[in-house]
Amino acid sequence: MIETHLYGKLRSIVQGSKPNEDTIVIYEYKENETFNAFIERLGLKPSDLGDCFINGILAKYTDIIPNGARIGLFPFNMVLLCGGQHLKGHGFTRLNFDINYY
Amino acid sequence: MSSKILRVDMSNLSSKWENLPSEYETLAGRALTSTIVAKEVNPNCEPLGKFNKIVVAHGLLAGTTAPSSGRLSVGGKSPLTGTIKEANAGGLTGGKLARLGISAVIVEGQPKDKKDWYSIIIQKDKCEIKKTNDYANKGLYELIAKIWKDFPSKPGIIGCGIAGQRLGICAGIFGNNIENSDPGRFAGRGGLGAVLGSKRVIAIVTDDTKGERPEAKNKERFENGRKKFVEALRKHPITGDLKDASGNPFGGLKNYGTNVLMNILNEAGALPTRNFSSGRFEGAAKISGEAVHELVDSVKKKFGDKSEGTYGHPCHPGCIMACSNVVPYENSGKHQTGCLEYESAWALGTDLGISVLKDVAELNRMCNDLGLDTIETGNTIAMFMEAGVIKFGDSTAAINLLKEAYNEKSITGKLVSSGALVAGKTLGVTRIPVVKGQALPAYDPRAIKGIGVTYATTPMGADHTSGYTIAAEILGIKGQVTDPRTLEKSELSRNFQATTAFIDSTGYCLFIAFCILDNDDGFAGMLDTVNGFLGKDINLTDYGLNVLKIERDFNHRAGFTEKDDRLAEFFYNEPLPPHNVVFNVPDEEVDKVYKNIGWIMQK
Repeated sequence: MIETHLYGKLRSIVQGSKPNEDTIVIYEYKENETFNAFIERLGLKPSDLGDCFINGILAKYTDIIPNGARIGLFPFNMVLLCGGQHLKGHGFTRLNFDINYY
Repeated sequence: MSSKILRVDMSNLSSKWENLPSEYETLAGRALTSTIVAKEVNPNCEPLGKFNKIVVAHGLLAGTTAPSSGRLSVGGKSPLTGTIKEANAGGLTGGKLARLGISAVIVEGQPKDKKDWYSIIIQKDKCEIKKTNDYANKGLYELIAKIWKDFPSKPGIIGCGIAGQRLGICAGIFGNNIENSDPGRFAGRGGLGAVLGSKRVIAIVTDDTKGERPEAKNKERFENGRKKFVEALRKHPITGDLKDASGNPFGGLKNYGTNVLMNILNEAGALPTRNFSSGRFEGAAKISGEAVHELVDSVKKKFGDKSEGTYGHPCHPGCIMACSNVVPYENSGKHQTGCLEYESAWALGTDLGISVLKDVAELNRMCNDLGLDTIETGNTIAMFMEAGVIKFGDSTAAINLLKEAYNEKSITGKLVSSGALVAGKTLGVTRIPVVKGQALPAYDPRAIKGIGVTYATTPMGADHTSGYTIAAEILGIKGQVTDPRTLEKSELSRNFQATTAFIDSTGYCLFIAFCILDNDDGFAGMLDTVNGFLGKDINLTDYGLNVLKIERDFNHRAGFTEKDDRLAEFFYNEPLPPHNVVFNVPDEEVDKVYKNIGWIMQK
């Protein structure tokens, strides 16, 4: 199973969700599914998304999602800012990046 | 319009005007405050004694039509850290000083007689040091309202609150917001409010009637740059407009403020929780930027135009990113506090295990009212919780604890105004999250090692704004480097800090970074506004590095060495859940940040 936490505009995937509570959807695990394929499964495209996480690590679209993963999906207008930018190395906000240069 | 320095001597209650020295011509904001402090303040002086100074300087572009450029810097020797300090804020005063042609205000000396309180009233070509004993011991919400009654020209007001007047070393310099409804535009860090209080000054009131807008030396370059930059800022999903063409929420900062980070850092497992004991907080969503957005909307539905809550609020005139907010009382729609930033919601919420939004907002209001830095105060309350004096998560106890700071006779009140290090040591706590005496902000260095290196090495003590990672782009290596690990990490960290020092000097809000990271036209436009204003091109990296050099040299003369560029012990050996990581960047790696360019601070 994949425990998916939804934020911002993406909460609308769940009817009745509230912005001041956790919005969590459990999806079926698919072996060797990439993050890119997973978001397509949800009807999303990369331009809908900001910074997303798999088990607390910044997600790349080629990452394979492990069984039991916790995924955090943020919409296009929610990204790491301020000190959080250090997690993205030299700070590309919307392009490919490498993470946590230390 | 020529630039002047206003020098106020509180030892003999006099003031004089000086011409800005030619060597200061390109300096402003942090570059100017740090240059003056380093030149005129003995690094070994007692920070609350007569030899320390407070230097107030607007950013280079303050008062112009450049967007989001009206920030103000305040500098001095910090009583919290013993280092040089620059703290930065929005508000009204930066733009008003610029329109009066005042590059810096220097407050020095100290009245012998500790009986009276004063305020410095600045007008065009005029300065009055006025006795204002009726301003003392007042909560700041009441004080700023009174000052606008006394001075109906709607001046900028900065100064110190009750905490600073009582020399609490986590007192910040408050600033009034645009509407004068809140004193929450704080140059918060490092206890500079206590330095002002030690000079018996409560308020610096700036009235820019008959002032003029500063003009660029190369008007065409400035204006073309400004237009490009504004367009880039408005279109970007982080800094952009409140709604898109379809009426849906667009700009992240306008809609959710900096507190958009609460959920993101929580998901990243890097959100320091209950005094840095975990990287995830189960209550994060309840006190996040989305929660504030929802509260403002629901209160507006209930109370209509009478509701005083808002988001998309500018912290200074001309800011088009407008990430500030006002949290309303749910039961009345009235103004509870502004602004509830990420750092404040974290320090007064997550770090204390408190997930009730109205209680976090109330703690924020009390900090604003008392004149306290929210980050330091939150960390200080955490020390009481870590020591078992009150429980983590007990918001009623936290509020009652902070209330003690109003009581002049309360020792507990003095302790809660004294910062995490003093409170922690007094209470027998060993997990005290400070660097050079200043408490850490809202990013755990075990999960985000780059910020840990910044915390350790900046001249300011633990500071999250010192090393913005836009340097790589600004240095022109964007597109040339795909793996930053191929670069010397120390070089990145040092250049991040230098570029941040440059932006701190321009008057621009650091948040322009999120747009110019992605948009080359935006970056070029920003540089054109700076170089167009000055009438010449300056080397950004050299400018910033020079500021860092001055600051580091001051600290060295004050007795600091590389051995002080370290985090608290528990970060090195206590794994942080959920990633179960420690801060394992070797000391030699950290020391390379400055050693590689020959800046060595051994005794």
